[in-house]
Amino acid sequence: MNEERVISPEQRIGQVPERIFLFRSCTGSMEYPGTEKAVRDVLGQLGVEIVMDADQTCCSGYILTCSGYTPEAPLAVTARNLALVEQRYGLETYVYCNGCFGYIRELSHLLNHVPKFKDEANRLIGQWGYHYQGEAGIYHVQELYYLLIDKIRARVVQPLRGLRVAAHYGCHYLAQQYGILDDGDLPTFHEKIIEALGGTPVFYKERRMCCGYAVGRGFTHKESIVQPLLARKLDSAKDEGVQLITTVCPGCNVALDREQPNLAGRGFGPYNIPVIDLGQLIALAMGMPVGKLGFNANTVSLGGVLNILGIGEDKP
Amino acid sequence: MPREYDDKWDDQLYQKVDRYDLVTNLEQCLQCGKCTGNCPVAALTPSYNPRAIINDILAGSTARLLDSEEIWRCLWCANCYRVCPVDIHYPLLMMQLRYLALEKGYGLKYVVPINKYAFRSMEEGLTFVPGQKGRERIMALRAAIDVSPWPEVSERAKKEFGEIFEQTGCRRWMENLEMEQEKPLRLSFLGRGVIDE
Repeated sequence: MNEERVISPEQRIGQVPERIFLFRSCTGSMEYPGTEKAVRDVLGQLGVEIVMDADQTCCSGYILTCSGYTPEAPLAVTARNLALVEQRYGLETYVYCNGCFGYIRELSHLLNHVPKFKDEANRLIGQWGYHYQGEAGIYHVQELYYLLIDKIRARVVQPLRGLRVAAHYGCHYLAQQYGILDDGDLPTFHEKIIEALGGTPVFYKERRMCCGYAVGRGFTHKESIVQPLLARKLDSAKDEGVQLITTVCPGCNVALDREQPNLAGRGFGPYNIPVIDLGQLIALAMGMPVGKLGFNANTVSLGGVLNILGIGEDKP
Repeated sequence: MPREYDDKWDDQLYQKVDRYDLVTNLEQCLQCGKCTGNCPVAALTPSYNPRAIINDILAGSTARLLDSEEIWRCLWCANCYRVCPVDIHYPLLMMQLRYLALEKGYGLKYVVPINKYAFRSMEEGLTFVPGQKGRERIMALRAAIDVSPWPEVSERAKKEFGEIFEQTGCRRWMENLEMEQEKPLRLSFLGRGVIDE
């Protein structure tokens, strides 16, 4: 309760790291593979070397939050993944999914503060040679974008002139309460990044509203809660003339993008607002070939946005 | 309306819910209601009330909680936790309250369908791997942007991931939840007419 809630990226990260461990997101590598590609390319161009490891597994947090798993297993999974990073690389872990970030932060917090959890997890993963210490930090790549905002601005070759972009921050980064980069109620750092890319950041009423997919992914209350919630959010974006929404969580991206036809089928909208990862937008502005950004994975076409920017969709 | 008997009240309910000692500060709840004011689900369906749910857990009112449909509405967005003046981790409370409900046969329809994906993830090391057609679609999308056709997850990772669920007993706990044990839910523990399945 006495810790600082909002801190600067310099306080949070310090020096720009030369190498980071990038944690693979299941949804980011399967539903929207362009997300992972864009994150890697953007950070690579900004001079940050990326390390990934095929021995890393899913964070297992999502099904835990659905009460589908009991916590013993996700605690051990977290200890195993982080021990792997600590022992093999000694690097900080960076995540490009708010879900993975929230779950890993929360589970590692429990491991670090409840001795019985850490002992039990270490006993289990010890059979394969892992030992979790709990020393390395866990960050989200959006924090690194903000720290590197001047460098990003300097590298924009395809400014997003005339494009009205709305940020969806998602819940699980800002819900961390302490030691995060912006205020949980009125964050603005994504808008600053959008501005640095030459776009027009748009504030819409329900900008902090949850995507609804945090639990259940359509298994729980899809019709009665998730869809009306999304409609309320997208209505307020449409009212402000939003042309593109950015996320920092492939899970949110699924909800906001994939549900739009279903919403139209129920009489909401239609919205036709494409939704992409903030990393993909940065990559686009930094001149990476559109055909390599994986926009083909999106349900709502990016065609209109690319037209506004005068970029042809050079399909591979 | 049937009269409420004292066998529906349980002094130990809070301890039974918080079985993993994840929310040890629940008794510090001020009943200020900031959680409810910041809850997107409460905004949409006002009978869902996190403040009242905390109150009922502390009071030990099993009748109003375990068989209610409302405890399944939480989206785990954690905005309640973000604004709580005493840092009560409501999502972790909700997660554990649902364990108790599931074990008593309530709400199985909200969790058991996810098991199919969960068991598959224990073999793949990735969650929400689709079937063959979806897999082919992903491989085509990935190949088009010059990344490996499938996310690189080693055999070692898959094996150890699956073993963790086996050895912690998590998999057994899941397998014990059977749809046949499903008991009907009540629509609202506040007794108001509310929407749902």
